[in-house]
Amino acid sequence: MTAYLIRRLMGLLPVLLAAATLVWALLFLIPGDPARLMAGGRAVDPEVLRAIRAEWGLDDPAAVQYLRYLGRLLRGDLGTSYVQGRKVTAVIGDHLLPTVLLAMAAVALSAGGGLLLGSLAAFRRGKAIDALVMALAMLGASAPVFWVGLLLILVFAARLRWLPVMGYGLDGAMLPWLHVRLPEWNHLVLPAVTLALVSMGAVARVVRASLLDSGSGAFLVTASAKGNGRLRVFVRHALRNALVPVLTVVGLSLGTLLGGAVATEFVFAWPGLGKALVRAIALKDLPVVEGCVLTLTAFFVLVNLAVDMLYPILDPRIQLGRSAPG
Amino acid sequence: MRRVPRSARAALVVACALAAISPLYVGCRATQAPESRAEQVYRFRLREDPPTLDPAQVTDNLSEAVLVNLFRGLVSMDPATLAVVPAVAESWTVSPDGLTYTFRLRDDVVFHNGRRVIAEDVAWSFERLLRPATKSPRRWLLEPLDGAADFTAGRSEHLSGISVGDERTISLRLAKPFAPFLGMLTMPAAAIVPREVYDDPARAYLRAPVGCGPFRLARWEQSNVIELQAFDRFYEGRPKLDRVLVRIIENRQTALEEYRAGGLDSLDEVPREMTPDIRDDVRRYPFMGVGYLGFNLDRPPFKGNADLRKAINFAVDKEYLWNVLLPGGNSPARGIIPPGIPGYDPSLPGYPHDEAKARALLAKAGYPSGKGLKPISLWVNTSDDNRVIAQQVQADLGKIGVPVTIREVDWGAYLKAVEGTPEESGEAQMFRFGWYLDYPDADAVLRLTLHSRNIGPLGNYFRYRNAAFDRLVDEALALTDPGARAERYREAERIAVMDDAVWLFLNYFESATLFKSHVKGVVLTPLGEFRIPLERLWIEKAGG
Repeated sequence: MTAYLIRRLMGLLPVLLAAATLVWALLFLIPGDPARLMAGGRAVDPEVLRAIRAEWGLDDPAAVQYLRYLGRLLRGDLGTSYVQGRKVTAVIGDHLLPTVLLAMAAVALSAGGGLLLGSLAAFRRGKAIDALVMALAMLGASAPVFWVGLLLILVFAARLRWLPVMGYGLDGAMLPWLHVRLPEWNHLVLPAVTLALVSMGAVARVVRASLLDSGSGAFLVTASAKGNGRLRVFVRHALRNALVPVLTVVGLSLGTLLGGAVATEFVFAWPGLGKALVRAIALKDLPVVEGCVLTLTAFFVLVNLAVDMLYPILDPRIQLGRSAPG
Repeated sequence: MRRVPRSARAALVVACALAAISPLYVGCRATQAPESRAEQVYRFRLREDPPTLDPAQVTDNLSEAVLVNLFRGLVSMDPATLAVVPAVAESWTVSPDGLTYTFRLRDDVVFHNGRRVIAEDVAWSFERLLRPATKSPRRWLLEPLDGAADFTAGRSEHLSGISVGDERTISLRLAKPFAPFLGMLTMPAAAIVPREVYDDPARAYLRAPVGCGPFRLARWEQSNVIELQAFDRFYEGRPKLDRVLVRIIENRQTALEEYRAGGLDSLDEVPREMTPDIRDDVRRYPFMGVGYLGFNLDRPPFKGNADLRKAINFAVDKEYLWNVLLPGGNSPARGIIPPGIPGYDPSLPGYPHDEAKARALLAKAGYPSGKGLKPISLWVNTSDDNRVIAQQVQADLGKIGVPVTIREVDWGAYLKAVEGTPEESGEAQMFRFGWYLDYPDADAVLRLTLHSRNIGPLGNYFRYRNAAFDRLVDEALALTDPGARAERYREAERIAVMDDAVWLFLNYFESATLFKSHVKGVVLTPLGEFRIPLERLWIEKAGG
């Protein structure tokens, strides 16, 4: 188990290296001169431009710039923001918690909601409620995050006034030591729901399918024969077995979710990494773009690793680090 | 692995997801202090975080929106009349030759850290702006000072053009007369900063700016909020507002809903479709800027062909563009100098929409009905408005036979295609640009964008060269009589507009801002919606 974990963590390195290289190359190829954008405004003194280029080594050959960048990363240094003049780690530190909280809340909601809806649909297979749930699942998965977010704002904030329109809240508690603020909980609801709706449909469909699949299994007949009630058979036996594919879907949907987080953060003015990333791209603040992408990549890989670690807990037949029994 | 009890394992999955979130909220609400009834809070929206709060680095209006409340310079600009008025300097004199400006400082100005502002601070702040290590994009505003070039190049330790008399007296000597100098000293980049804070290699001041303005920075939470607090010892008296919350909201629809819900007291973007609840909140007022499509005069087909440029000017229906397609926020332009700026010429004919004239001029230009013209590339940076403008121009020019292809790219790529270098022109043949005047003087647009000395990234992207134009603009710079200066600018504008048609003249800008009715003391200003002086505002809520 430990050996497996170490091996998997080692595997993280090439992924990060590939991501680092890819994002660097893409940024290098995008037209536009970061020094020019740093100099700001419209009329720019060529001398100031030259000084900025020299300071950041932007005139060096591509290979030199790339190696310097890798060397910096290996030392654990994400660099300094061109625009803000601060360490990239500080910029990420400001924006990481909001994104992580939003993503976790959304995963919890989409897993919980998906399980509930999927079970309901499977339990009432072929009935109206089944059709309704599946239609909603389809709608949730295909509606753009941006549109869903605005719709929720209009209904629950603007019209019903149940929840705040947007934002993170100005008076959440400060986390000691980290000096980052927590959101006010009511501000988290709409963004989390918006984001959760993206993958909730997928989860519901998988829950339904795998419940129906296991619904015909002999082990359920055995369980019923032992005198277990219908609900008990469903929860303890059928649902348990359906959880493995659900976990897979939730893990995989995280990628979509992080993508959706960018749009969600935009709609709700949520001060997360997605916003920092988009802003940095617009300003060609390369170190911040690279730092954000690497952080999101690491986050994605680590969560997938955590998902893999959960499999054996759900299903003792699965053993990590060994080939599947034949 | 170790076996875990069944029931515990079943609960684990859901618990994992929820565990990290829920406990964090315990006690959150308890920290919220009840707002005092009398507290005066004003909340406005910025689209993005300001790129910087260092006065030496500021070039954009988002940064200025915050900076102007934190800092003060020797002089400021009256937001309504655009006259130069005293700030840290209570008075000043200009020598008869127009070269030496002597300022007398107030004795009651203190920085937010409690130290009194003295003449030495002004000298240090100005040297900082010019010092090469500062790499200030606004260095140019002090370049008229005597000895500035030597100082910037590192040939001298001190700036010979600055001399400090006593704690309250400072003289600035120019190399040659430069009429807009005093106006330029009102720009945020000429702010006075305390050396003990700004002489810091770790640059802590980037996050904790210290000035002597009416408000001080209380907190800056990236992408969320910037909070300013009234500075008790502000030399003109403590502002009526206790706090200002600058809320960072990128999406305009979200911002509008937040404004409607009462989370904002003003909003810098007015929706196209007006609803009754906000109709009375709208304020429209001129903004000193001009919008245009620039022609690249070094590339065919515009090179040496004024008739073609005039034809294009006549072909585009500016009235339709600003009154029907994009109403509210702009008025059709006839020239370069916007209304309200000395030198503005109400009798300038410009190029009112006239398709027949356009066709005739096109034929005269050598392209009858557009025959022989290759598609012209029109570059815009990505934005909804730019897309509408580009498409309308494309349609209008299509009617007279001029083919246009639109290139919509992000800002970085756009600048690269447009600016070129002093030696070589950019790739764009035609491009949309808005030019906001940095100081309320025709010099800020005529010289910076059209003088042949500024070809390339300095601002003359069109590569316009006209000796008569250059001479008039240079003359105006050295004159001190406002009437004579305005006359030169009018003459120069006529050359650039009526003779040379250097741009497709599109619009004079207007600001449009929503203000809740409880916001009092608003001074609308051509300097833009973010330069409305917050120290003059107060909130008056019924029963509040």
